[in-house]
Amino acid sequence: KQAPIPIPVPVIRLPRGPDGTSRGFCAARGRDRAGSVAEVAEQQARAALRERYLRSILAMVGRPVHFTLHERVQVDAHFGATDLDVANFHVSQLQTPLGVQGEALLRCADIISYSFQL
Amino acid sequence: MNEWMKKSPLEWQDYVYKEVRVTASEKNEYKGWVLTTDPVSANIVLVNFLEDGTVAVTGVMGHAVQTVETLNEDNQEVREKLMHMFMPEESKAYNPEDLEKRKISLKSWLEKNHIPITEQGESQSTLCVAGVLTIEPPYGPEDCSSSNEIILSRVQDLIQGHLTTSQ
Repeated sequence: KQAPIPIPVPVIRLPRGPDGTSRGFCAARGRDRAGSVAEVAEQQARAALRERYLRSILAMVGRPVHFTLHERVQVDAHFGATDLDVANFHVSQLQTPLGVQGEALLRCADIISYSFQL
Repeated sequence: MNEWMKKSPLEWQDYVYKEVRVTASEKNEYKGWVLTTDPVSANIVLVNFLEDGTVAVTGVMGHAVQTVETLNEDNQEVREKLMHMFMPEESKAYNPEDLEKRKISLKSWLEKNHIPITEQGESQSTLCVAGVLTIEPPYGPEDCSSSNEIILSRVQDLIQGHLTTSQ
């Protein structure tokens, strides 16, 4: 006799904050407890800043982007996507000193800055 | 983790719309108007308006930031431009009958696709899918809200398909 199939539990994946350990949002704050005025203000700021950043990333998709890496290395590529924690950039047509790489994953830890034009 | 990354969202927000000079690792320097700082990575997004009319956008990675110096506090013209940068175009205004038609049309399309859908809200103008996703007027893919990425993606595709075939 087969065991009943467990009902999937909805999972909300929130990105981590820059310190790598927090979830970017206050875990202690329960859903049914309204935050203090300061907490609400901080959360609103966090949401507004993040939304703008995500929109700026969205605007980069498919465009040529210039990357400044360590040791004064500069490369150009077409931007594809980044992940939830902004840990990696997926790019295509990466122009490296050794030739063009069709697809590549740039670790954000290796990047100092990126730029593109509208 | 550097000082910049340890700042709070309110401190980061304070820099938005200001012109700053950012020094980063390996003596890299950047100047521009702050569009935003990502609270997840502390990446700073700077904007520069070039003489030929193009806009240059630079992202300085949070882990590489050494100092951030404010150069210019407020420029109303720049503020206006930054506020609307990357924002979607204003959706055209629909009259109530059109909205009702769009709602009914979408509702029956989703029901045909075996998606449990109900109407919610005081004016019954919000559509609710399976209790986990809401669709606000004017019922486009961008008007969906849900914490479930999979359902969100599926419903957005269905709406997009519906809009394409009915146009």
